[in-house]
Amino acid sequence: MIWKKISLNKREIMEKFNNTSDLVLYEFETNSNIKMMACYIEGFIDRELFDRDILKPLILDLKKVKDIKRTILTSKIKEIDSMENLIEDILSGNIAIFAEDLPLSYTIELSKWEKRAVEEPESESVVRGPKEGFIEDIFVNKSLLRRKLRTNNLVFEDLVLGKQTRTKISIAYLQGIVNKRVLEEVKKRLSKIDIDGVLESGYIEQLIEDRPYSIIATIENTEKPDVAAAKILEGRVAILCDGTPHVLTVPRLFIEGVMTSEDYYVRPYYASFLRFLRVTALLISVFSPGVYVALQLYHQEMIPTVLLISMMGAREGVPLPVALETLLMVLTLEVTKESGVRLPKAVGTTVSIVGTLVLGQAAVQAGIVSAPTVIIIAITAISEFVVPALVQGVVLYRLIILLLGSFLGLYGTTCGLIIYITQIITTESFGIPFGLPFTPINKEGLKDSIVRFPIWSFIYRPKAIAKRNIRRQKPPRKG
Amino acid sequence: MKKIVLLSFFILSLLLTGCWNARELNELGLTLVIGLDLVDDKVLVTAEVVNPTYSQQSSTTTGQGSYVKYVQGVGNNIYEAYRDITLKFDRGLSIVHNRVFILGEDFAKKGLVSQIDELYRDVEQRETAYLLVAKGGKAYEVMGINSGLEELPSNYITKIVENFKYNPKTVDTNLVQYIKQYYKMGHHSIIGTIEKKEKKVIDQTVEKTGTQDYELSVIGSAIFNEDVLVGYLNGNDTKSVNFVMNKIRGGIITFPTPTAQVEGSSTPPPPVEGEMPNKQKDQNLSSVIVIKNNTKNDVEMVDGNIKLKTKIELRGSLGEVVGNIDVAEKENIIKLEEACSKAIEDGIKRAFKKAQKEYGIDIFGYGLVFHRKYPEEWKRIKKDWDEIFSQADFEIEVNTDIIRTGLINTPINKIKGK
Repeated sequence: MIWKKISLNKREIMEKFNNTSDLVLYEFETNSNIKMMACYIEGFIDRELFDRDILKPLILDLKKVKDIKRTILTSKIKEIDSMENLIEDILSGNIAIFAEDLPLSYTIELSKWEKRAVEEPESESVVRGPKEGFIEDIFVNKSLLRRKLRTNNLVFEDLVLGKQTRTKISIAYLQGIVNKRVLEEVKKRLSKIDIDGVLESGYIEQLIEDRPYSIIATIENTEKPDVAAAKILEGRVAILCDGTPHVLTVPRLFIEGVMTSEDYYVRPYYASFLRFLRVTALLISVFSPGVYVALQLYHQEMIPTVLLISMMGAREGVPLPVALETLLMVLTLEVTKESGVRLPKAVGTTVSIVGTLVLGQAAVQAGIVSAPTVIIIAITAISEFVVPALVQGVVLYRLIILLLGSFLGLYGTTCGLIIYITQIITTESFGIPFGLPFTPINKEGLKDSIVRFPIWSFIYRPKAIAKRNIRRQKPPRKG
Repeated sequence: MKKIVLLSFFILSLLLTGCWNARELNELGLTLVIGLDLVDDKVLVTAEVVNPTYSQQSSTTTGQGSYVKYVQGVGNNIYEAYRDITLKFDRGLSIVHNRVFILGEDFAKKGLVSQIDELYRDVEQRETAYLLVAKGGKAYEVMGINSGLEELPSNYITKIVENFKYNPKTVDTNLVQYIKQYYKMGHHSIIGTIEKKEKKVIDQTVEKTGTQDYELSVIGSAIFNEDVLVGYLNGNDTKSVNFVMNKIRGGIITFPTPTAQVEGSSTPPPPVEGEMPNKQKDQNLSSVIVIKNNTKNDVEMVDGNIKLKTKIELRGSLGEVVGNIDVAEKENIIKLEEACSKAIEDGIKRAFKKAQKEYGIDIFGYGLVFHRKYPEEWKRIKKDWDEIFSQADFEIEVNTDIIRTGLINTPINKIKGK
């Protein structure tokens, strides 16, 4: 509750905020001799507007306490009568106004803080298609999404997560198209979250995913509004989280890992070719080191004679066994990658020089690593970057397959393949099978899988995701 | 608990299979050709092993040594000979890439089946390795000769055997084909031969140096009675046998050019003995390139007499026409077709006679045809099939169809003034 006396309010607020230094409590008196107090957090509000449009009219024009709402001309003014709500509002960038002998407070939303401009996301750059990306501010993100889907069916449902961070979360979906079961499941799982802090959507992802122990991610994330809009159009639910440009979409299918937004903007033949290429690259990236070691150690008869002889020539004088050598190179690749990501850009070139020259050429010339191994690792790395969405799973499975291949040969890598596929097809994402549209087979979904059919052939939404209102467009007239 | 037991059984069962014998590449002695000989009634194995360091050097520096090394081992059987090598050679032989087996003549004459069980039993051995008999000598005598561009002698040998598809004067029998032929009823196998031939000296200024003046030739084939080497066929007879066995996929047929005369007075071409005979003086020879060939063998039993029949349908294109004949004329094409058919017929008859009279064994596989057509009678006569074969009548019909004549219609020597 709010006290009538300003001094009491002041004391309570200071107590509640533990005398924090960025809290501003500004007491002033109007020309009509009304004692007033404004309370806000420094850096959260637009000071200029506050001085001009709030302080000035109050001090100069306010005659009676009752007239506060009439004096300050803003649509974002609320009457607050409980201390809890007041603190909540102050923390989200509102200004609280108290007046002597007034048992309530007004909060005016005047938030303004430093934020990044909308720019092209680095993780999902495209040649064709919109270049804008989500930013860290949820309000901007919502407006970006709304600009893609200008329909009254687009619904945002807000909630706040994190006992200390009080992070704003927003669930976005298209009313009438969204899969209700998924939506209910998302809401249920979000409501069960009880954590002190949510600093990134990754927190939410790990708290609500179907299989918390699985290597495979069952929640998709994107930085691009057009991608999020496309997913929502297919009946998915997007979860926006304040403070991060990464928007989550559920449910996720495995095939989404090899899709990009650009696939839909270029012509279907090329898009299908690219999809096929990415699937191949995925397999190469996961299996090539394991199969390489398996073939070299156990199945020399499967390598063409001339290639085998040149491989033997390259291995002459290499001290390490091939399994260890390959493992070493795979780990080196990860280290190089990691250092490239973390290093400031100025030092980045050093890494590439050290990586290519020292690890590649010099290691081969010194006879520590054989040239075919370096080639295999290079192919592995290049292929990996083709499917960035799946990188986490790919790297770990690669190691597993490599170990299996080193100890059990092709038998082991085949076991690894079976485990990989089994894991994919048994996983579910919010009740939707992860292996769609292949297992279970879904005719509409297959049109947009490894092959992308022309847009005019997408008459229905993928049925398994959007259960209702699945028609997208009129079927083309025959004849 | 039950789950853990089941799971552990599952995991343990993984160890029951798989390839436990991991071998690093730098521990392998990659063997590409194996020669088998009999020396003092013991098996002498000669293996051509790749020298990987040489292959690495060859691109950068002028490598020392050679691309392959030859190692030898002696034993009472093949496996013992292999193991004999281990105490003389630093790397274990890996025969997973072995492409060619060269059998010495002595070895082949002793009978193969009792000796080469190991080649089939060994898990490492490829069944597609070619079998070749070193004609008139030892296997190790032909090994190491490389007259081709391939750096590896083994590749040189493999490639010339595989050229069978351009010139069917040889056979490309491999291990599995040999054993299939061996087990076929009433069929004696033929396998390829290899022999060393001296080259004509090309550059007189270069001094003769070692193996440079030799080349290998795989023309011809070796005839086996059951599994014992009994004799050789020359290249043309081998081609005829391939015709009967429906193995022709390419190659050429050479025959005397029929003379194109005014109607009614056309003289038949002078009779020649077989295909590609010793060319008579002033005889014009033409060639047809085989595009497609289909052979059907049949056996007929009339009043206890057995008649072997072969029908050949050949489709080809003209490769070379020498002589005064205008191939733009339909009749002349028919004449050429008839002449070509005649040449094939004569060649096959000659090879047939050789098999019947000289060796008295069925190398064409008519026994199998008989077995399929008259299964009851076969039971009675299968013991004596070779004898019956050498008495049997033979009938052959060849149809040639020339569907293309090449780029020019008239032989170039015809045009001027005639």
